[in-house]
Amino acid sequence: MNARHRLPLQAGAIAVLAFGVLILSVYGSLMTGGRSDIRLSDLFTASTNGAVILDIRLPRTLVAACLGVNLGLSGLILQALTRNPLSSPSILGINQGAALGLTIGVIFPSVGALVGLMPLAAIGALAAGFITFSIAGVFAGRIVSLRLILGGVAVGAFASAMVRFSFTLEDDLARQVLRWTLGNISDVRWHHVQSLFVWSIGGTVATLAMAHRLNLMALGEAQASGLGADPRLTLMIGALMSACLTGTAVFVAGPIAFAGLVVPHMCRFCLGPDHRILVPATALGGACLLMAADAASKWLTSPVELPVGVVVAMIGAPYFLYQTLFSKGAI
Amino acid sequence: MRDILILCALTATVVLIAIWSLSAGAVPIPWHIIGNTLFDLEGPKQEFIVFQSRLPRTLLALLTGGALALSGVTVQALLRNPLASPKIIGINSGAALAVCLLVLVLPGAGLKWLPVAALGGGLLAAAIVTGSADFGRFSSGRLALIGIAVGFLCDAGVDFILATSADAQFSAPLIWLTGSLWARGWTHVQLVWPWLVILASLILVLSFRVDLIQLGDSTATSLGVAVRPLRLILMGLAAALAAISVSVVGVLGFVGLMAPHMARSIIGGAHSRIMPCAVLIGMGLVTLADATGRAIAPPIEVSAGIVTALFGAPFFVFIMIQSGKRSRV
Repeated sequence: MNARHRLPLQAGAIAVLAFGVLILSVYGSLMTGGRSDIRLSDLFTASTNGAVILDIRLPRTLVAACLGVNLGLSGLILQALTRNPLSSPSILGINQGAALGLTIGVIFPSVGALVGLMPLAAIGALAAGFITFSIAGVFAGRIVSLRLILGGVAVGAFASAMVRFSFTLEDDLARQVLRWTLGNISDVRWHHVQSLFVWSIGGTVATLAMAHRLNLMALGEAQASGLGADPRLTLMIGALMSACLTGTAVFVAGPIAFAGLVVPHMCRFCLGPDHRILVPATALGGACLLMAADAASKWLTSPVELPVGVVVAMIGAPYFLYQTLFSKGAI
Repeated sequence: MRDILILCALTATVVLIAIWSLSAGAVPIPWHIIGNTLFDLEGPKQEFIVFQSRLPRTLLALLTGGALALSGVTVQALLRNPLASPKIIGINSGAALAVCLLVLVLPGAGLKWLPVAALGGGLLAAAIVTGSADFGRFSSGRLALIGIAVGFLCDAGVDFILATSADAQFSAPLIWLTGSLWARGWTHVQLVWPWLVILASLILVLSFRVDLIQLGDSTATSLGVAVRPLRLILMGLAAALAAISVSVVGVLGFVGLMAPHMARSIIGGAHSRIMPCAVLIGMGLVTLADATGRAIAPPIEVSAGIVTALFGAPFFVFIMIQSGKRSRV
C-alpha cells in the first residue's frame, strides 16, 4: 500500500503523531539527568543550570538522535539489499565488525594513528558485512535467508569474542571497554556531535537519493536490472553506505544492537514499503527511539545510569523474539 | 576398510596431540619423561605436574571436545543445516545468564555452584527454544531463528546485570565462561565423565535414526519413524552434551561447527560413520587448542576458547563460501 494513496486525514494523523513522539523524546532526553532539579525552563535563566543543559545534556541528546538516524538507515538499507526483514547491523555481524576494527586501532596505536579510528571502524564493518554476504551468496545473486542470518551470527560472535579477548590483555582498559561495548554515551560532548552529525545528514540525503534503487531491489535482481538499475551497483553503494553509517555510530557509542532492526520494521508497518517515504521516516523514528532510550537510561535506575545500548537491547531483543515466533514466512 | 583405516589414523593423531598437550606449558616436559611418569618406568619423572595438572586437563579437553562435536553433528542433522551449532539453540547465552543471576541473587555461593547454574541455564534455554519451535508449525529455519532470538534476549539480560551491578563480583564467573581449561582438575573430570559417556552412547545408538530424520519429516514418517518424539529426544541429548561441557569449561566456540564439517568431508555417508569420526576430531581440536594456548607464550596462557575461535572462524568462513558455491542449503 502506498502512503500517497492514503486519505489525507490518515497521513495528517500519522504526521501529527510522529511530531508528538519527536517532541516527547527530545523533551524526555533533555529533562532527565543526574540532577533532577534542572528543568528545561532553566535554559532561559542565565545560570549554571542552563549551562548543564547546553553543554552536557544537549550534545548527548543530539548524539543519541544521530545514532538512531545512522543505525536505523543502516538497517533499512540492509533489509532492502538482502530482501530479508531480519537483516540489521547487529544480526549480520556488522556492528561487531566495526567494534573489532576500532579495537585493532586501540591495541596497535601506530595503525590507529595511520588510518584513523573512525575509518578503521568503517573498514571493520565493511569486512564483516562482506564475509556475511559471501556466506549468504549475496554476490552470487542468490540469497539464502537462513544462511544470511546464521552466517551473520557466527561472524558477529567471532568479532565480539576477539574484542573481549583483546581487552583482557590490559585490566585497566577492561572495565572501561566493557561499558563501551554495551553502547554508552554518557560522556559525549560537543566535539563528538560534529563528525557524527555530518554523517547522519549526509547519510540521510544519500539514502534518500538511492530510495528508488532500493525500491527496485525489492522486485528482485532480475527485475531491477531490467528496469535499468544495476543491482550490483546498488549492492555495492548500499553496503558501503551501511558500513560507514554503522562505523561512525560504533566509533562514538559502541555497538548498539537492535536499533537497526526495530525502527525500519515499525516504519514499514505504519507507512508501507515505499522507500521514498521510509527513508525520512526511519531517520526520524531512529532518532526518536534512541532519544527515548537515552531518557530511559538516565531515569530507569537513577542515580546509576545504564548504557543506552542496554536499554535498546532490552526493547529490541524481545521484539526480535516476538518477530521470529509470530511472523509468517520470514524463513 | 577405508573407514577403519581413517578412524585408526585419527585415533593415533589424537593420542599424539594428547601427549603433546601433556608436554607443553610453562614447564616443558620432554616426551621420554612423560612416558616414564605415565607408565611408572625407570628414570626421571615429573609426577606432580603431569598427574595433578596436565593429565586431568587433557582428559577434560578430550571429553568436552568429543561432547561438543557430537552435539554439533546432531544439531546440524536435526536442523538440516551445516551452519547450525549448539550455540544456535541458545545454550551458551542461557548458561551465561544463569551464572550472572546466581551471582546476583546469591553473591556468596562461590565457584562451586557455577557449573550447576550454567548447566541449568543452558538446558532451560534449549528447552524453551525447542519447545517454542515445536509449538505450532515446525521448520528447522524457525527453530534456528528462535534460538538466535532467545540467545539475544539472554545476552541483553547479561548486559543489563553487568551494567547495573558492582564491577568486581562478576569477573570470576565471566572468566569461567570464556572457554578455558585453566585450573580444571580431577574433580571436574569425575563430575562430568559418566554423564558425557552415557549421553554420547545414547546418541551413537540412535545414529541410524538421525539418518532417517535427515531425509525430511514426511519421508522419515513414511519410513516408520515417530519424528516429533525422536527429534525432541535427540535435541535433548545434544543440548545436554553441550550444556555439560559449557558448564565445566565454558564456551569453546566453533568446535561444534568445525568437527562435523571435517568429519563429513573426511569420511562422509551415514551418521554411524560420521559421529565417531567427529568425536575424534573434536577431541583432537580442543586438546590441540588447549596445548597451543599453553605453548604460545609461556608462562602466560591463552585460553582455549580464544584459540578455537581464532583458528576456527577463518576455517568456517572458507568452508561456508565453498559449500555455498556447490549447494544451496
